[in-house]
Amino acid sequence: MITAFELGLIYAIMALGVYLTFRILNFPDLTVDGSFTSGAATAAILITNEVDPFLATAAAFVVGSLAGMITGLLHTKGNINGLLAGILTMIGLYSINLRIMDGANVPLLGQDTVISMMRGFTGVGWTSVAVLAAVALIFKLIMDWYLQTDNGLALRATGDNEQMISSFAVSTDRQKIIGLMLSNGLVGIAGAVVAQHQGFADIGMGIGLILVGLASVIVGQAIFGSRTVIQATLAVILGAVVYRLAIQLALNVGLNPNDMKLMSAVLVVAALLLPQWKGFSKLSLRRRSSSPLAEAAAPLTTSDAHLSKTSSEKGA
Amino acid sequence: MLNIDSVSKTFFPHTVNERRALVEVNLELKEGDFVTVIGSNGAGKSTLLNTVAGRIHQDTGVVSLDGTDVSRLKEHQRAAKVGRVFQDPMAGTAPNLSIEENLSLADRRGRPRGLSRGVTKAKRERFAEALKQLELGLEGRLKTKVGLLSGGQRQALSLLMATYSDPRVLLLDEHTAALDPQRAELVTRLTRSVVEDKGLTTLMVTHNMVQALEVGNRLIMMHEGRIILDVGAEQKAKMTPQDLLAEFGKLKGAVVDDKTLLQ
Repeated sequence: MITAFELGLIYAIMALGVYLTFRILNFPDLTVDGSFTSGAATAAILITNEVDPFLATAAAFVVGSLAGMITGLLHTKGNINGLLAGILTMIGLYSINLRIMDGANVPLLGQDTVISMMRGFTGVGWTSVAVLAAVALIFKLIMDWYLQTDNGLALRATGDNEQMISSFAVSTDRQKIIGLMLSNGLVGIAGAVVAQHQGFADIGMGIGLILVGLASVIVGQAIFGSRTVIQATLAVILGAVVYRLAIQLALNVGLNPNDMKLMSAVLVVAALLLPQWKGFSKLSLRRRSSSPLAEAAAPLTTSDAHLSKTSSEKGA
Repeated sequence: MLNIDSVSKTFFPHTVNERRALVEVNLELKEGDFVTVIGSNGAGKSTLLNTVAGRIHQDTGVVSLDGTDVSRLKEHQRAAKVGRVFQDPMAGTAPNLSIEENLSLADRRGRPRGLSRGVTKAKRERFAEALKQLELGLEGRLKTKVGLLSGGQRQALSLLMATYSDPRVLLLDEHTAALDPQRAELVTRLTRSVVEDKGLTTLMVTHNMVQALEVGNRLIMMHEGRIILDVGAEQKAKMTPQDLLAEFGKLKGAVVDDKTLLQ
């Protein structure tokens, strides 16, 4: 159980990255599967070469953001569809990750890692959970702060209304690249910490990870709300923990670990389909009756925004 | 200060759908000019605006701003000096951002966007002050998401945002066409007062002949990609919508759409 909490809080950092692309930029970024492993591989190989584990984790951020930059450049400058750009980077990274690790995995047994250093103070228990929760919260606060800055606002507007923000002299290409870099940087950090937590980096550790990220974001926001950025980022962290606990629960009742990917996929599908079901929306309307106007107007405006985008493109 | 020098644009060239949207168009706007643009559907009005904004790049000719050739600049680069309000009231604002966040984005036009706080207390007071001019009570709803506002409110806000950081050129693309008459009236009034107050150089496309005659100090009529009528302030003041319709009538093959006739 403790491990589930710990992992949930570590994966929360990745979920924050996924939130940045999926929700803020409205860009489902599949780079994540590759950049997570890249972060893990980079940190692991640096740690085995006696580099300070904190520095190694920071390096994972850099490598992750470089991966994000490649996807961003492919998408914006190369005019490649966002999903495809992510897939291309992800596939390419597979080979690069093998090169970084010079093999399919790097064990970290007996090495000083950020986790082992933490354990020196906290052991395994609620204290270690609290420390990891504090770390996740720090990342959340940094993201909250960034999204309120001039640049962060431009990023949010880029995902919200591209036509509008370019009419205010913002390069949407540049903002998308920035967003993808930050996102994958966070994913890289998460990969690095997960590797240190489990004691090895492995070429397959990132497979299907985008689903974990999406599940955390969608489930978290469905349960805890997303009215403001501050609320949304907190919901993402809690979502990541809830997801990990759900997986733990499923394992405890005797489900086969091999079925976990299918479980994740089903969970995401359910989270995406349920809100479309009429009964569910009535339910949630009543639950959030504090501002019925907001609920009624939100779907209208979003569909309008879509219409306006297509019509303006035709008009041009 | 805005120079459009023999600009041409053809869509789908060398196909059956070829459409010459702009044909050797010449237009010069002086500082503070407020030009209204009318014309039948497909006359090239929107293409003209989009060419100035950089959304569409002309095939030949030069667009220059303050004596600098901006033909090769992209839309977002030109936007440092060019403000726009679109026909669609949803297009000019970011729905999931609050009113103050939207205004903060408008406030940074043409300046670097770094890591300083987007909305500060001082800015918030300035925004509230500016919103008062709209007389829509929005100054008390700074934290409301823009997506919750009505079309008229959003268009009024779009206008305020487009003009907030004093662009060199203001482009209005039928920005009152999608509003009900009352709201259209309001946005027209706001447009006149803001353009007058700030002395903005403005190019306004409209379907409404009355509006085209009432606002601005110059009127141009376009047809099949050409400017066929250019009327200065004095002559414009004497003209009536009937005169304009008569001008349309002279054109062979010009189709005045129902919307225009009804106005």
